[in-house]
Amino acid sequence: MSIVDAEPYAFTFDLASTALVIIDMQRDFVEPGGFGETLGNDVSHLQAVVPPLRSVLARAREVGLTVIHTREGHVPDLSDCPPAKLTRGEPTLRIGAPGPKGRILVRGEYGHDIIDELAPLPGEPVIDKPGKGSFHGTSFGALLEERGITSLIVTGVTTEVCVHTTVREANDRGYECLVLSDCVGSYFPEFQRVGLAMIAAQGGIFGWVTPSCAFLSSLAPSEVPA
Amino acid sequence: MTVETPLAPPFARVRIGPVAANPYPWPYDGAVDAAKVALVCIDWQVDFCGPGGYVDRMGYDIGLTRAGLPATASMLAHARATGMLVIHTREGHSPNLSDLPANKRWRSARIGAEIGGAGPCGRILVRGEPGWEIVPEVAPIPGEVIVDKPGKGAFYATDLDLVLRTNGITHVVLTGITTDVCVHTTMREANDRGYECVILSDCTGATDPGNHASALHMVTMQGGVFGCVSDSASVIDATSYSTDGPPHRSAAALIHESRVGWEDPS
Repeated sequence: MSIVDAEPYAFTFDLASTALVIIDMQRDFVEPGGFGETLGNDVSHLQAVVPPLRSVLARAREVGLTVIHTREGHVPDLSDCPPAKLTRGEPTLRIGAPGPKGRILVRGEYGHDIIDELAPLPGEPVIDKPGKGSFHGTSFGALLEERGITSLIVTGVTTEVCVHTTVREANDRGYECLVLSDCVGSYFPEFQRVGLAMIAAQGGIFGWVTPSCAFLSSLAPSEVPA
Repeated sequence: MTVETPLAPPFARVRIGPVAANPYPWPYDGAVDAAKVALVCIDWQVDFCGPGGYVDRMGYDIGLTRAGLPATASMLAHARATGMLVIHTREGHSPNLSDLPANKRWRSARIGAEIGGAGPCGRILVRGEPGWEIVPEVAPIPGEVIVDKPGKGAFYATDLDLVLRTNGITHVVLTGITTDVCVHTTMREANDRGYECVILSDCTGATDPGNHASALHMVTMQGGVFGCVSDSASVIDATSYSTDGPPHRSAAALIHESRVGWEDPS
């Protein structure tokens, strides 16, 4: 078992039953010139997540942790996009409209894919989700059960939207979630702060929070399976 | 007791919208028949907001969690009069705690409020205990749907989605406590499932006012990432009545009609 210092108290996990979950590190959200920036967001807050998350991903692969990536997006005919989601906001920036990196939030488009720095390796599951949460309308829950996963190391973007929704879904299902504070990002610093605080509030009502350095140091060489 | 038939709305058609809301006039599709709208009242339970309940006995200010009760009572009266589907939720676990995740139990014990343990109003968060009941100010009336949920979200491991779809509900109005925990989780679940949501700021509350404000603010970002924020008066103001169109047969009325003469065993 590994133990990590965390808020609101130490997080204990077993490598064999733990997965690193990387949420929606997609070009359209993270990269300059993408859909997120087109909406007026400052993507530098999300860019800051990439270096520490690369280190965590590399170490996770070294120690044989299950790695799961997610992407938010819809099928090209948008038949899986609820009307309320589709028609909100500016018509020219709607889901399915042509964006700077292909059709916005459509599966298969360049902007919908994961950034090169965190590209999935062959064999690493990629969960395509139609909503903010990773469980609804996907095989994510079945995948975790099949692999005997009970604990999640949660990273990705954005903190208060897709990360929070996934952690809330996971928590209700009995999964233990450790959120790495420097490996999740929000366009809005205030929501980054509040989003992390809400997770650890009331004795850890949704889970645990810690910086990636604490998580990495918990993966001491002695913890690496032979 | 005998279930009473509801008062038939005197209007052929009741429409809701557009409602003054942030960041867009709700709903996205302009207006909606009241019969397609559900008013969801989340976890107005004695242990969370009642005098003598768990939160009260722990020394917290229940004024914060009770703040939304008067406006919610007004919304309930409006929903009943206009034929919206009224749904109440309660967080709790079965008496043998077989539906209680081990980490949830462990965490609650760690802060001195072990779920299933003795509390000021019976066993904490156990179904059937006095502290788990809904406070009288917003109590369900016979025939209204009650969803018992083991988690923070009202969709996970419950029949809420089935109830909404079966009754033709497409739009959801949210009230309850606490804003940042159970109301937000339920709103996120509903939004992912395609329901058009609005959360009413004066019908919600949290033990931390900062979290209440942030949770409402989060909803309004990015064009309404989970829906909209409004208040009870705006919904009531945006309700229109007409005698045109097909006869008004609300989901709630149909449920009531199907139960006329049915004897509640309790």
